[in-house]
Amino acid sequence: MSAAPSVIERPLGRGHGVTALAAWELKAAVRSRWVLGTAIVFAAISLGVTLLGLEALRGLGLSGVGPASAGLVNLGVLLPPLMGLLLGAGSIAGARERGLLAMMVAQPVSRTSLIVGVFLGLVAALWITVAAGFGLSALVLAGVARVSDLAPFGALVVATLAVGTAGLGVGIGLSSVAAGRTQAVALAVAVWFVLALGMDLALAGLGPAVQLGPEGLLVAVLLNPLEAGRILALLAANPSGAALGPFGTYMIERFGSTGSAVLLGSAIAAWTVIPLLVARSALRRRPT
Amino acid sequence: MRPEGPHAASVLLTDRLSKAYGPHTVLDEVSIRVSGGEIAVVSGANGTGKSTLLRCVAGLARFRGQVHVGGLPVDGRRAVRRLVGYMPQAVQLPENVTVGEVIGFFARLRGAEPDTSNLPEGFLPADERPIGILSGGQRQRVALAVALLGRPRLLLLDEPVANLDELGREGFWQTLRELSARGTAALIASPMPSDLAGIADRAIVLDDGRVVFDGEMNGMHAVPLVGEADEPDEGREEARA
Repeated sequence: MSAAPSVIERPLGRGHGVTALAAWELKAAVRSRWVLGTAIVFAAISLGVTLLGLEALRGLGLSGVGPASAGLVNLGVLLPPLMGLLLGAGSIAGARERGLLAMMVAQPVSRTSLIVGVFLGLVAALWITVAAGFGLSALVLAGVARVSDLAPFGALVVATLAVGTAGLGVGIGLSSVAAGRTQAVALAVAVWFVLALGMDLALAGLGPAVQLGPEGLLVAVLLNPLEAGRILALLAANPSGAALGPFGTYMIERFGSTGSAVLLGSAIAAWTVIPLLVARSALRRRPT
Repeated sequence: MRPEGPHAASVLLTDRLSKAYGPHTVLDEVSIRVSGGEIAVVSGANGTGKSTLLRCVAGLARFRGQVHVGGLPVDGRRAVRRLVGYMPQAVQLPENVTVGEVIGFFARLRGAEPDTSNLPEGFLPADERPIGILSGGQRQRVALAVALLGRPRLLLLDEPVANLDELGREGFWQTLRELSARGTAALIASPMPSDLAGIADRAIVLDDGRVVFDGEMNGMHAVPLVGEADEPDEGREEARA
């Protein structure tokens, strides 16, 4: 019997595999019809909201991008998180069902690198999708926009990307703990309904009885990344917080504009990172 | 990390390896040893723990007992996974990527060159062919090529030729013999060990998660294969260990 084979030992760095996994996920996502279809739908809705908003503006004899931008805020905090949730929900669970996860985990790649690589690849795919939608709107708005409109629009795009990314993080977390892809997708849709509608309805129903007050509302906002994103985008458009009524005034007085933005941004970041930590833990504990 | 200690002589050593899913014991104190250059077939009826044994050795499932590959403990660390090439029983590669992209991707994950020259000419479909247009057998060839990337010291192959035609089987066994001659060890799960007659050096027969035979191929025919319980789905049941 001859000696053992001479494996070419190339030292593997700490984050080994992250870029390969990210590129792989991005490639697979961009080539899939689902992402392409989502990009087209999101672009069409964004364009529709923009045109309707501008039409309303003209009807009132006003200029600028205000109502169109406000419509995009609501669109931006609702659709991209759903897209992120669904994209993430299909990732780990789908790879597990296809046996591909086993092949990946069997490679000399840490679970952390695997989750981070998948996340980064899908973030890139999601951002491309959102950019396609908002890019069309930006082209339309460019004709009527003033210089002062640029910052709020930019903040809107950033807030949208942030809540979409949080949705993706939650989706990957769900995907790693769910029994299968179908269950992960069902959970993702349920989470989206709770965040997009359920919490608002609960607050509206319980609000008068419980009397939350501004502190209670703040907690409710921080517990909902969609709401945090909406407030962030509106604060960027109107740093005085006036557009948010008494709650906005409370936030600005208590934390200032920058402090409020940091607080809301941190809440969204936590909604992104914590589910990824859950996913990493599930990948370590659960058989592949 | 260099292999050290008493386990260094064997490429694979399991010591009282046990695995359970909830109350169901799938592997019960399995102790086996596979040396460099040795080809061992793990056989047994459906649901006797063949695939689970391979998954535990590949570090894909937690277990009780000890497993060493190349003298290194299988404990979740990456170093040991560089020594192992694994092919699962069923894998569905993404349809919208090409053969070359699959090979390139897994080579990058292994930190190896995308070198498939150890396989016979024509064994793999052309690099530019999308996975989506390949037959089941051709896809299995791609998965086999992935397992061989980086020249691992131990191959864990779960029914590696189930979908291959006669030519493909012969080509793969030839490759395996060549790798074996260069010191690569292989543990191959197969419900039909007769397929590996003349290829495998040794047979390990499992029954109800226990080793009931471990010896030369021609000695295993005396072992009655019993137990037809289905193996539980790993994704649905919690690991005990």
